[in-house]
Amino acid sequence: MMGLGTTILDLVGPVMEFIAPIAPGETFPYFFTMEMFQRALVAAILVTVVAGVLGSFLLVRNLALIGDGLAHVSFGGVAVGVVLGASSPLWYALLFSVISAILIHEMQTREVLTGDASIAIFLTGMLALGLVVLRVFGGGITSDIEGYLFGSLLLIDEQSLDLIATISILSLISLMFLYSGLLSTTIDPLAARVQGLPVRAIGLVFSIITAAVVVSMVQVIGALLVTALLVTPAATGQLVGRSFRACLIWTQIFGISAIFLGLYLSAEYDSGSGSMIALVAALIFALVAISKTVLLAIIKPKENL
Amino acid sequence: MEETQVLHIEGLSVSRSGKMVISDINLNILKGEFVGLVGPNGSGKSTLLLAILGVLKSQQGTIKIYGGKPMSKSILGRIGWVSQAAAVMPKNVRITVRELIQLGTLNSRNMFFRKRGAHRERVEQAIKMVGLGDVADRDIARLSGGQRQRAVIGRALASNAEFILLDEPLVGIDREARNSLLKLLDTLCHDENKTILMVSHDLAAIRQTAHRMIYLEESIRFDGLTEDFPDLKALAGLRGIEPVHGHEHEHNGKQHPPSITIKNREEGDSNGEDE
Repeated sequence: MMGLGTTILDLVGPVMEFIAPIAPGETFPYFFTMEMFQRALVAAILVTVVAGVLGSFLLVRNLALIGDGLAHVSFGGVAVGVVLGASSPLWYALLFSVISAILIHEMQTREVLTGDASIAIFLTGMLALGLVVLRVFGGGITSDIEGYLFGSLLLIDEQSLDLIATISILSLISLMFLYSGLLSTTIDPLAARVQGLPVRAIGLVFSIITAAVVVSMVQVIGALLVTALLVTPAATGQLVGRSFRACLIWTQIFGISAIFLGLYLSAEYDSGSGSMIALVAALIFALVAISKTVLLAIIKPKENL
Repeated sequence: MEETQVLHIEGLSVSRSGKMVISDINLNILKGEFVGLVGPNGSGKSTLLLAILGVLKSQQGTIKIYGGKPMSKSILGRIGWVSQAAAVMPKNVRITVRELIQLGTLNSRNMFFRKRGAHRERVEQAIKMVGLGDVADRDIARLSGGQRQRAVIGRALASNAEFILLDEPLVGIDREARNSLLKLLDTLCHDENKTILMVSHDLAAIRQTAHRMIYLEESIRFDGLTEDFPDLKALAGLRGIEPVHGHEHEHNGKQHPPSITIKNREEGDSNGEDE
């Protein structure tokens, strides 16, 4: 049976080979011709698109760090999966991440713990579980394990790509359907409830989507760097956009730019792809933030910022 | 009578975290009324509003809105909630006035499948009613406090709500904006036949517009026409003879035996040990 990821790859493969001759650099063009790199590029783009949409909502909900928390939880899941000898440890990560997301959401809505505290507990607890399990039952931090921490495009085999593509596409479709309800409950939950919207159910579904998307990002950018694609492009978009819709579009532009530029630089200078993407995303944010401040100071020198 | 009665509250008591905040509330609001709900901080105004909305459960008594229970399906959509924009609206969201007001047309049935441009007329009408036509595509973060509050009212209007509850809408807006906001509410009440229940600290402002005033401090101390609302002196008297204080003094003296006696005994014991 052919999975969603391989189907997408078959569809865009010819287009990528068409682009290959104009791709700059010496190593970078391989991303458009060699199947292993093609898989990585497709996965990276899919993940970035979903992360951008998700991140825009996370930012407004003041949940910027939940991605980081769930990524650490996923790493715990990966470790357990590896020790148990799973062929695809990402499934364990998905299970761990979704359960944790639901528990964090419930703890926050029931006000057992407010704010980031519940995220912090899950983050450290599950990361610790992963490290302990790896040390006691496995071979410690091997290079494979490191790939999950810092991202390794070479880890993305056909099976992974299928999982990443399925999660991304399903999440994107769900987010499109939830768009209005999510925006409404994000901005004024009480008003949304009075209008008859199922505020709690929407929050729960959103948490599950977040958990799944974070898992799909772990291989591409690494558990430690997930926030770079989840939050940074969305935060950059907010500096430029004037409406929620415009912010979403800008987020995509910044996110995709970070992916292409990051992959290009990492390929040419042989640096880690995940860290280079994260670095580029942060630099884009800095560039936009500084130019905005300078421009505003020149155009409206007398206005209080 | 069914049609003209919007809100009917009988013998309502609500407690929050174990403490009775409002008790024995009886209240009727009829269609087209503009009711001002006033009272000092912590007097239970927000508690009453949240109980009417169905967010807080009542310990005693009944609340009927258009004959239905709070949060019941039949009344959702007929109620509009206008939160205090200055406090509730997230600061870190970029959203235009139009995007915000569009959210008012959502309900549980149409939230997944939104036709493009659905309810456009209702949204445009709501934008016009709150007088934000010029800034409809502007980010609400760049608006003044008064304009932002108007946008939140616009959201409630876009839902076609007939009974509008407002929580301190005059907070964080300047004098001019306050006057025009009150004028807007007055128009909604008279021309659109909306029923309005508005909570405010600003006694002077609310007296200008409301037909009827309710003074709440744990229970309703005054309920009547605005022109009959007591002046400051009489109001002080009204608050001075509060039975709440009177009771407590008595309790400290004689009644309330259980807690007092236990306390005394404990004090006695510790004294004994000390000696």
